[in-house]
Amino acid sequence: MEALILAGLLFTGSAAGILGALFGLGGGFIFVPVLMLVFGLAPTEAVAVSLIGIIAGSVGASTVFVDKGLSNIRLGLLMEITTAAGAIMGAIVAGFLEEWILMCIFSVIVFYSALRMILNPEKVIPPSEDDDSRFSFEYNDEANGEHVRYKVENVKSGMALCTVAGMISSMTGVGGGAVKVPLMNIYMHVPIKAASPTSSYMIGITAFSGAITYFIAGQVLLEYAAAIAIGAFAGSIVGTSLARKLHTKHLRKYFSILLIIVATLVLLQAGGIL
Amino acid sequence: MNLNHATALTLRIFVVIGIAMMVAGLAMSLMDMGDAVLYAGILVLIVSPFAGVIVTFIALVQEKDWYWVTIAAILLAITAVGLGIAML
Repeated sequence: MEALILAGLLFTGSAAGILGALFGLGGGFIFVPVLMLVFGLAPTEAVAVSLIGIIAGSVGASTVFVDKGLSNIRLGLLMEITTAAGAIMGAIVAGFLEEWILMCIFSVIVFYSALRMILNPEKVIPPSEDDDSRFSFEYNDEANGEHVRYKVENVKSGMALCTVAGMISSMTGVGGGAVKVPLMNIYMHVPIKAASPTSSYMIGITAFSGAITYFIAGQVLLEYAAAIAIGAFAGSIVGTSLARKLHTKHLRKYFSILLIIVATLVLLQAGGIL
Repeated sequence: MNLNHATALTLRIFVVIGIAMMVAGLAMSLMDMGDAVLYAGILVLIVSPFAGVIVTFIALVQEKDWYWVTIAAILLAITAVGLGIAML
C-alpha cells in the first residue's frame, strides 16, 4: 500500500477515533464519506471498512471507560437488546423504504436533539436515600472530582425508541451514537459523562454483527481496514483522556455543535449533494 | 474481579492482540506477505465486543445479579439470531 494512502487512512482513523471516544459516536459519518470520496472505495467496501474502524474506536474507548466505571454496562446491554432487534427489523424493511426519507428523519431528530442540548441544562435525577432501584448508578467525574449518583428514567419508552434508532441505523449506516447519546441524556436523564461512554461501549456491540457478516463474506479490504482500525484505536485512547477531563457543560456544548454538523452532512447526503 | 474490570480487561486483551497483528500484517505487506496475519488480526478485533459481552455475562452470573444476567442472555440470543439471519 502506498505510504500516502496509509498515512491518510491512519489520519482518518485517528480523527474519527478521537471524536468517537469524546462524544460516544461511532465515526461512520466520517469513515464512509471519506473512504468513498477521498479513497475511491465502492459503497459496500466503504461500509465494511467503516464498521471495523468503528469497532476499533469503540473497543479502544471502552478499555478505558469501562474500567473507570463511566460506561454503564448494564444499561448498555439493556438498550442493545431493542437496538439489535430494530437493526434486524430495519434490514428486513430496508427494501420497502426510500433511504433519503430515513436520512431526513434522522437529520430532523439530530437537529432537534442538538437544540435541546444547547438550550436545556443537564437534568440528573439523583436516587433517593433508601432507593435501591436497579436503575440507580454512579460514577466519578474526574473533571471536578465529584461522585455522581443518577437514576435512569423512562426506561421502557427509551428502549422502544432504541428500536427506531436501530432501524434507522441499519438502514442508513448512521445514527448509533448521534441518536442514543441525546436519548440517554435528555430523555432518560443519564449524565452526559456516563451517556457518551455508555454509547461508546454499545456501538462496538452494534457494529459486531454487521462487521462479521461482511468479513466472512470476504468483502473487507484487509489493508484498508487494518490502517483505519489502528488509527481509530490510537485516536480513541487520546479521546478518552480528553473526555474524562472535560466539564459536563463544555462536553454538551461541543457535542451539540458536532450533532448539527452531522445532521447537516447527512441532509446533504440525502439530497445527493454529498 | 468486578464486572467492569473483568470486561475492560477482556476488551483490552483482544484489541491489543488484534491491533498488534494488524501492525505486523501491514509491515509484512511491504514484502507482499502478511495477508493471513491481517485476516486473523481483524477477526480478533471484530469479535472483541462479543467476547466482552460473554465475560460480562459470566461476571453477572458470579455476582448473582439475576435480572441483568437475563438481560445479557437475551442480548446474546438476539445477536445469535441476527447473525443467523445475516448468514442466510
